[in-house]
Order: sequence, then C-alpha cells, then structure tokens
Amino acid sequence: MNASSAHLKLELAMRGLRLEQGLEAAELAAAGTEPGGDNLVELLLPGDLVASCQVDKGGAGGSRHRLTVENDHFLLRTGDDSTPVPVSVVGRPEFYAKTTSAGTKMNRLGLLHGDFLAIDPAGACAFAGESKPCVLCPARRNRGATRRKPWPLKEVLEVIRAAFDEGAVEFIYFRTGHYQDDDGGFALLEPYVKAVKEHFDTLVAIQVSPPSESGWVDRAYAAGVDAVNYPLFTFDEKSLARACADRRKQVTREHTLAALERAARVFPRGTVWSDLMVGLEEPTSTIEGIDQLVSLGVLPILSLHRPSDMASLAAHPLTDPDDVVPVYAHLYKAAREARLNLQWLRDLGQAVTPLEARFFAGDDAKLDVAVSSFYRSRLGGRAARSLSRFRRRLRVKQVSDSFDSSQL
Amino acid sequence: MSQENTSKQYVVDTRPLALVLLSRLNRPLRLLLGVGLFVLVYNMETPEGLSEEGRKAMAVFALCLTWWVLNVLPLMITSLMAIALIPLTGIMPAEQAYSLFGNSAVFFIMGAFILAACLMKSGLSTRLGLLFLQRFGHSPRSLLCAVFLMNAFMAFWMSEHAVAAMNFPIVMEIVMVLKLRPRRSSYAKALFLALAWGSTIGGVATLLGGGRAPLALGILEQYEGTNPFTFLDWTLRALPVVVVMLGVGWLVITRFFPIDQDSVADAETALAEKVAKLGPMSRDEKAIGVVMLGTVATWVLAGHNLGLANVAIGAIVLLFVFKLVKWRDVEEYVNWGIILMYGGAICLGAALNDSGAATWMAQRTLGLMADSPASAVAALSASSWLLTEAISNSAVVALMMPMGLGMADTIGLVPATIAPLIAIPAGLAFAFPIGTPANAIAYSSGFLRLRDIILPGAIMGATGWVVFNLTVRFYWTWAGYIHL
Repeated sequence: MNASSAHLKLELAMRGLRLEQGLEAAELAAAGTEPGGDNLVELLLPGDLVASCQVDKGGAGGSRHRLTVENDHFLLRTGDDSTPVPVSVVGRPEFYAKTTSAGTKMNRLGLLHGDFLAIDPAGACAFAGESKPCVLCPARRNRGATRRKPWPLKEVLEVIRAAFDEGAVEFIYFRTGHYQDDDGGFALLEPYVKAVKEHFDTLVAIQVSPPSESGWVDRAYAAGVDAVNYPLFTFDEKSLARACADRRKQVTREHTLAALERAARVFPRGTVWSDLMVGLEEPTSTIEGIDQLVSLGVLPILSLHRPSDMASLAAHPLTDPDDVVPVYAHLYKAAREARLNLQWLRDLGQAVTPLEARFFAGDDAKLDVAVSSFYRSRLGGRAARSLSRFRRRLRVKQVSDSFDSSQL
Repeated sequence: MSQENTSKQYVVDTRPLALVLLSRLNRPLRLLLGVGLFVLVYNMETPEGLSEEGRKAMAVFALCLTWWVLNVLPLMITSLMAIALIPLTGIMPAEQAYSLFGNSAVFFIMGAFILAACLMKSGLSTRLGLLFLQRFGHSPRSLLCAVFLMNAFMAFWMSEHAVAAMNFPIVMEIVMVLKLRPRRSSYAKALFLALAWGSTIGGVATLLGGGRAPLALGILEQYEGTNPFTFLDWTLRALPVVVVMLGVGWLVITRFFPIDQDSVADAETALAEKVAKLGPMSRDEKAIGVVMLGTVATWVLAGHNLGLANVAIGAIVLLFVFKLVKWRDVEEYVNWGIILMYGGAICLGAALNDSGAATWMAQRTLGLMADSPASAVAALSASSWLLTEAISNSAVVALMMPMGLGMADTIGLVPATIAPLIAIPAGLAFAFPIGTPANAIAYSSGFLRLRDIILPGAIMGATGWVVFNLTVRFYWTWAGYIHL
C-alpha cells in the first residue's frame, strides 16, 4: 500500500485531482489559494504521505484521479474501476478565518502545509528578483520587484500563536523568496526567527537565497534557525536558464553549492536541504545533482514540475511519473550511502523527501521510519527541540566573548 | 550589512560535538582545579620550615596561579580575588593588604598608559609611524626593515601591545594594496612577523614597553622597601639584548620568509595618501610631543630622585592643564583591568614574601636547579621564557618574582638583580599567539599559519634566552650589575 501511495503522490503531483460534484476546492484548500494561482488541496495518503494536488484547473480538469465522499469519508478513485483509496484531506484550520489585531486575515500571513506553518513575510518570488518573471511562474508577474512591506512582527506572532493554540502546527517555515543582498534575505527574517524562538518552543526552518557572505550562515544558526534550504531548482544550468533566465544570471550553481556546503558544516546533519525540480531537466542531470548535494552533506528534495496553465511554460511536456522513478530511487540510496539523517524533513506535500523515496528503492528503512515516528510523537518532538537547543548552546560563540577571553 | 558586522558577531564551532562538549566542560574543570588546590593546600599540615600564614599564602597563590595560567577568569579579576582572600584567610590584615595596591609601580603603569593613550588619541603616534615608513620604505626590503624597526622603537615608549594594535591597520593596508595572498605570500608573513616581533623586542628595552618591568619593580619594592632602579639603569641592562635580538629577528624573518615581492610602489602611494590625509601637525600633537619628550628626559635624568610615578602623574596633570586630552579619551584608551591585575599581583607577592612562603617554595623548586648564582640566572631566565610562551607575561612576573626573591639570599644574588632576570626574559615570547597580544594580533591577520610562527618563534625564543644569558655573563658582570 505504501509503495503505491508513493506512486500515487507522484501521480497526483503531476496530474492533479478532480473533485466530485458538491466538493468545493476553496473549502478544502488547507494550503489556501494564491491570488491568480492554482487551487491546491493537500491529501494525507496511506503511509502518512502528504500529497499536494492541483484541483480542477488546467490539466487537473482531465485528471483520472477523483476525490469523492462516502459516508463522511474521503476516497480517492483512479479511473472508473479501481479500488478506492481512503484518504484524509488536510483540513482547513480554523485560524484561517481569524484576523490579526490589525484586521488582516490570518491566512494571508501564514499557510499550513502538513504540520508546518509557512510564512513569507515579504512575499517575494523564490526564483528571481529582477526584470521579468520566470516562464514557469503561474503568477506571471515578477513579485520580487514589487516586494511588499514585510508583515509586522506582532501580527506574524499572532498568527503563529493562533496556529499553535489550535494544535495545527509543529514547525515554522519562513521564506523570503529571492534576495540579491549579501545576506540572501536572512536579515529580513532574523527578527521573526528570534521572536519565534523567544515566544514558542518550536523548530524553525528557513528558505532564503544563498548568502554571498558565509558569516550569515553562522548568524542564522545562532539566531535559532534549525534547518535551512537554499534551492537549486535544477542542477543543469542551461535548463534553469530556459525556465528562469534571471535566476540563472543572479545565482550561479557554484555559489549555491558553496553556501550549502558551509551550511552543512554549521547545521546538524540532515537539516540542510536543496530543492531540485524533476521534469525540467534530464533525469541524468538530476541524478548528478543528487550526488553532488549528498557529497556536501546536503539532503536533496525532489519536487515534480507541475505545468500550470497560468504559466508561460504551460506547454512544457508532462513528465511521466514512471520515467522518474529511478531518480527517486537514486535519491534514497544516495542519501543513505552518505549517512545523512533522513528524519528531519517530512510532510512536504509538493516534494518527495529521501525517506519517502525509500518506496521507490524497495527498502523498508524500518529504523529510520521508527525514529521518524518517534520524532513525530509528543515526547520525540520535545526531545528534538531540547537537543536542538543544547547543540546550539554548545556550538555558538559570540566573538566578543573570545576577544574578551584573549584579554587583549 | 557587511561581513564586518556579521561573521564577527557569531562563530559556530563546527568541530565534532563530543569535542565541543569536552571543551565546554574544560572551564568548570579548570575552575575546580584551582579551588581544589586551594582547599588541599589550605587544609594540609603545615610543612616544616613554613609558617601557618605561609601555608595559607601558598593556598591563595596556588589558586591564583592555576586560574592565571589556565585563563579561567580575566587576569584582573583573579588578582582582585587575591587581594580579598589575603585578609579573609588571615594572612595579613585587610588594611595592610589593600594598602599594597597603592604601590608606586601601579601608579607608574597607570601614568604610562595614560601618556600612551594621549599619543594614540592625538594621532601623533600614527603620524610618526607613517612618516617613518614613508621615509624609509622604498623597496620591499627597506619597507620590511622599516616596519620591524619602527615597531621596536615605538615599543620603547609605549606598551608593546598598544604598538602592535596601533600599527596593525597600517600593515594590513600595505598587504592589501600590494594584493598579497593570505597564507601564501612570504612577504606578507614577513611583514606581520616584523610587526609582532618588532613590538615584542622593543618592549623589553625600557620601563615603558609593557607592565612586566614596573610590576617586577613593584614587587621588589615591597620586598626591599626601596626600588634601586632608575629609568636609565633598566634600559642599560636590557638594551644589548634588544640590539642583538633585532639583528637575530631580522635574520630569522628574512631566512624563513624570503622577500617574494618586486615592488612596493603601490604601498608607497597608499602611505603617501595617508600622510597627506593627516594634514599638517596640529598644535595639540606638537604640545603632546613636547610633554612626552620632557617626561622621558625627566625619567632618564631625574627619575630616581623625583620618582618615576610622580613624573608620570606630573606629565598627566600638565596635559590636562593645557587641555590636550579629555578624561573621556583616557577612559577609552587605558586598559584599567591590567592596572587592577598589577595591584593584585603586587599584593600577593608581598603576602608570599612576608609570610616566608616565597623562600620556602623557591628552595624546593628553583633552588633544586640552581646551586650557584650562574645556574640561578639560567634557571630563572629559562623558567620565565618558557612560561611566557604559554601564559601572560605579567602573570609570569607575578608568579616568578616572589620565588626569585625567595631564593636570592640563599643563592648569593642581590635581590634587586632578580627583577631584570625575570622581567626581561618574560618579554621574549615569540612562538605562540597566546604568548603575547602582539603575536595574537599578527596571527589574527589571517596571513600567517600557526606553523609559520611556531618554529621561527621557538628559534627566536631560544636564541633570546642564550643572548640574555651571554649578556648577563659578560656585559652585566663587566658593568658591575651582577656578581657571578
């Protein structure tokens, strides 16, 4: 069942989902919908796999996967004759309907994905920050150039408080999108990260652009960041140039890899990751990227490129999930061989983690799964947070302390 | 935000976690070691030949020594603790212990620091350094030599640490404009070693080059009741060592780090721009220069009669009378902590001497190695040199002086001779960044690897010890400073 769940996750990611009459995407969308973007519904598949599905629009309108409700239970049907698969819909949390003290709807500030709350304080595009939008961008506009004023810290904390009070969230995931500055965007996130660490007992991950000064990696860890993501998107630079010319110009692969290498030395093993998008480049190139990343101690995360009819790249040929199964199998094997910790990254609806990729490699990975289950428990979560704090206290030194101790 | 403001704020220790954990446990262990030694010595049966006060003084000494050597607390805090522990343990009354802080050596050190602060704040010292380099630094060899000699000469008159720190940005700018590669350029390594070693060698020449000599004289004064050294007396004993070590230093630097630079034209241009930017010498700079020259002349000519500390304080009063310096500047530039450290060390030295603990310890340690004045000179200077490579040179003086004075009579040395025998070798730290701030400053440039310092530094230190002993054996005996 789990192996078929993993395949199903790929299928849903690629082909999307149709809804039975009477079901409304907007009501199911835990991840919310972005203005001008696609409807996304998150399903919990057997084996605790989270799948993020495009609903009804574009290619998904013709999807062979259909979500139905029978006796108050959600069922996923593929084609007409297949056995229905019981699934859960990651519910729309109640705090989405609440407003902050300034009157802003809370789901404008934070969106729930699996058990993490994603917050994008400045709303910038993750790919590029200048001139024109990427051809794969469903928003078809360059948000980087029109970055809005960051959300006030007070309001962000209110949203996080509401999410925690509801018991909907375990982790916080801050994103800045693309930044050209030396800090890669972390300077913007730093006050948010510090405040979250001060007010909540939780783990914090960030996605920022690779900083051009390595000191920012140390600073991010010192501020309380527990995991970090510098996306590569594609390993092949020509493919990246086709999909997003600005990104290719602004952030070189070498620069990203260097920043990842530094981060992997600073952060615990298995908490530094990079996104590779399957389907935008040749599988051999993705495999080369996986090998390069794991050799640096970085976990690759593979997401499938899902053509959106809103994007200029809508005509890009659809990848057949069966064609990329060997890539996912390689992901698991490479990460295992590099002895990377596979437990930290989980519940990514739009991507496949190395641990989830075990299904494609035909490995049970019982120990990893057991450890992962432990960390999902209340006790495991507390242990993870305590370990994180302990490690940070040991490793972080303020330079002024060193200078004082030198008694110069 | 620049890298200056980012990576310098936090450093993540990326060593294996077990190693990090061990290093973090290190400090509590070091703390406990000192406390354990204190408790052990304090509670042991008083050995024969040692008074009860002597045993208690040894307990305080063991605690302070452990914490000084292992750098558990800032040196000055350990020293303050010593002053408090001495009356608390009943070694001497509180009034007597705290009054020892009023030693004239402490005020001389304070005065010297304030005068150096005026030189730095006014920009006069930087101007003189830049002019010297501009005048003599026309080729790679002459520029290197100029850096070496300039630092040495400036350390005659200011603390060697202050000289290294003050001239570090100038040398850094030189290597930057010459585009020298960190850890690769032999010339850059030579320049930074010239900065460090020039300051270190120059620092032993006079009483102004650091706190070692005044501290040794302060402890001696507590022991003898008088200080027999004039400013010139000290310099005459130290100068031959300085001259020879400057030659040795030049040879070691240029042999280990051959000059691989063809031209320093860009550095000359940069120095000229810096000098031009300074503009003409201001009235304050001239006035401070005059006061400094007058102070040094008075120290040399009448220091013994007027008192070195009194002259220093008089000069400071003059600077304030003519509004050449503000108290805020003094607060900013003077290392008050070191002054506290010296006060505590002098107090502890007096407690060890008065209680007889110093003599008792010296007989059972250094006394075993030295059965004649000549062997005592070798043992004292070797101990000082070896210790100063690893711990603060002021801590070396604080540790060695009471023991040296304790053994002086039995070994046949005049107690006054002990001060230069310990304080001069205590200034010859060349091999490790931890030995002296001048080395640490040079190493912090990122242009030197540790191994670039260790081997040549060890050769310098060993040669320094040999040169010092030869100087004592031939020159001091010839001049009548010592009888071996």
